[in-house]
Amino acid sequence: MKYLTIALSKGRLADLSIEMLEDMGVDCSEYRNSSRKLIFTDEKNSIKFFLVKPADVPTYVEYGAADIGIAGKDTLLEEGRHLYEVLNLGFAACKMVLAGPAELQGKLDHLNNKRVATKYPKIAREYFEHKRRESIEVIKLNGSVELAPLVGLSELIVDLVESGRTLKDNGLVVLDTIAEISARVVVNRVSIKMKSDKVNWIIEGLKKQLEAARQK
Amino acid sequence: MSKWKIHTPEGVQDILFDECALKRNIEEKLRGLYRSYGYFEVETPTIEFYDVFSSDTGIIPQETMFKFFDQQGRILVLRPDITVPVARISASKYREMPYPMRFSYIGNVFRYNDYGGGKQNEFTQAGVEVLGVSTSEADAEVIAIAINALITAGLEDFKLDIGQVEFFNGLMDETKLTEEEMDRLKVMIDRKDYVGLEELLDKYDIRADLKKLITDLPALFGSADVIERVEALALNKRSLDALENIRQVLNILDDYGLGRYVSVDLGMLKGLNYDTGIIFRGFTYGIGFPILTGGRYDRLVEEFGRQCPATGFSMGVNLIMMALQRQKADIEKPCIDSIVCYSQKGRKTAFELCGELRRQGLLIELDLSGGDVEALKKYAARKGVGGVINVSDEETIEVHNIATGEINRTSIRELTKGC
Repeated sequence: MKYLTIALSKGRLADLSIEMLEDMGVDCSEYRNSSRKLIFTDEKNSIKFFLVKPADVPTYVEYGAADIGIAGKDTLLEEGRHLYEVLNLGFAACKMVLAGPAELQGKLDHLNNKRVATKYPKIAREYFEHKRRESIEVIKLNGSVELAPLVGLSELIVDLVESGRTLKDNGLVVLDTIAEISARVVVNRVSIKMKSDKVNWIIEGLKKQLEAARQK
Repeated sequence: MSKWKIHTPEGVQDILFDECALKRNIEEKLRGLYRSYGYFEVETPTIEFYDVFSSDTGIIPQETMFKFFDQQGRILVLRPDITVPVARISASKYREMPYPMRFSYIGNVFRYNDYGGGKQNEFTQAGVEVLGVSTSEADAEVIAIAINALITAGLEDFKLDIGQVEFFNGLMDETKLTEEEMDRLKVMIDRKDYVGLEELLDKYDIRADLKKLITDLPALFGSADVIERVEALALNKRSLDALENIRQVLNILDDYGLGRYVSVDLGMLKGLNYDTGIIFRGFTYGIGFPILTGGRYDRLVEEFGRQCPATGFSMGVNLIMMALQRQKADIEKPCIDSIVCYSQKGRKTAFELCGELRRQGLLIELDLSGGDVEALKKYAARKGVGGVINVSDEETIEVHNIATGEINRTSIRELTKGC
């Protein structure tokens, strides 16, 4: 029997994804009952799923270790993998923005040698390369990116913004929106062809739920 | 010891006994198959000038190539592909040759972290090219060979998807989009990124019915009825011709008896930068990457100074091996049949015996360390060798069966006669 394997992002996204899978009839009891297991199986539907760090979901799916993945658009952009990105689940919505001190507003073009601190070096580089046609110095950080302009590590930051509170509290403003971010369903390029029945079942199931939620 | 002495660089692999045997076996079968269709093999240099692969159209993106310099400072590359060198040959050394020209090749190519190679930097491609014909028959022939190549290699469960880049180009003719905007659309469609595609289309000024069709494009894959569904819409000649081309190819493949292996994907757009017509990809279980890619490239050869339509495909031999291993197909492993040892007096006889057994196609190892039969039997058992043959002289030969422990005494005459 050929299983369909799903990779989910650990954290809030996983809880939401699992609820949706359960609603469409995927048996997630193994996940609910056991905290030690790494891979959970629904024998009835021949589905397996596992939880990994969000940034790793696209990797598992690209290599075909998972057929389907649910991940944030931010990690998809940053990883830039060969995948099919078939569905916007809409949840975990936020924005990827370019931000900096308020005094830079409207003066971005006058700033030579831009240093950009970010957790997303690829997104930052591509944004400047394609949209602004500028070369920049990327400084990769792993957290608290807002701090960088405050202590002189960088002039600008590229980061995810949900409400904008953290930026505001630190005297930073959004200078440009790079992308709208939300949870997406991605599919391996081979699986969509070789396991099309099951892949479609999952995608259509998720779509129906989104429709239903929208009509409520 | 120097730091990297025992390591290999990223993206390259040692291929050891069992795998190497499997690989050679696949390569031999493919070589035979290609030849049987009249595609003779060529070997192109591993090192080529960078210029061969670079052009304004960006045949191969420069960041994916391994580059270095020759003594005059010219830029060299490790070949990232063999189709382009074949095009070079056909426009230079074989420029007087009548059409159609058929080529095949099996060789290693080198690319940084390439999707096509399953993320390896060095991998083996085995492919064919036919130059000088632009018919659907030519498209169908290479696809038929591709399917038979997969069957010959030992795969049973696989699929081939066919697309046609001209269909999309025809749609684009009806818009006033710039090259860059079209490229952006292509990327979205190829990624089946419905969300991004819709966002992008909202920004562009395109006829409503066209917009709808482009939005649907990523989902336009499956059986041949996809073509009929789309054909009913208002399309220009370029797009209709593309659909007709796919239909003809499918019909021809039906007559080959290979129709069940193929399906259509109109949303498959981004293969190589030099694609101009039918493109196709092969998939199987257990491998997350396409195992073969191919298609028409009518404008590549003119880069080398000769107008010439062409089509072909290449198969990733390493990926095929991986697929066979993951699908647990029956894989033959190389195995020694017997080890022959001898005492001084039996040496000549032993050599004669080895020669005779090898002529019969058996794999025979000769003992080189002095004929300790007990030690040899242990070694044979560990290595999975069937028997140990101890030659004392012409008349006294012991055959030890490792599995049963049986010992048969015989002579050279009987042994060579009986086999």
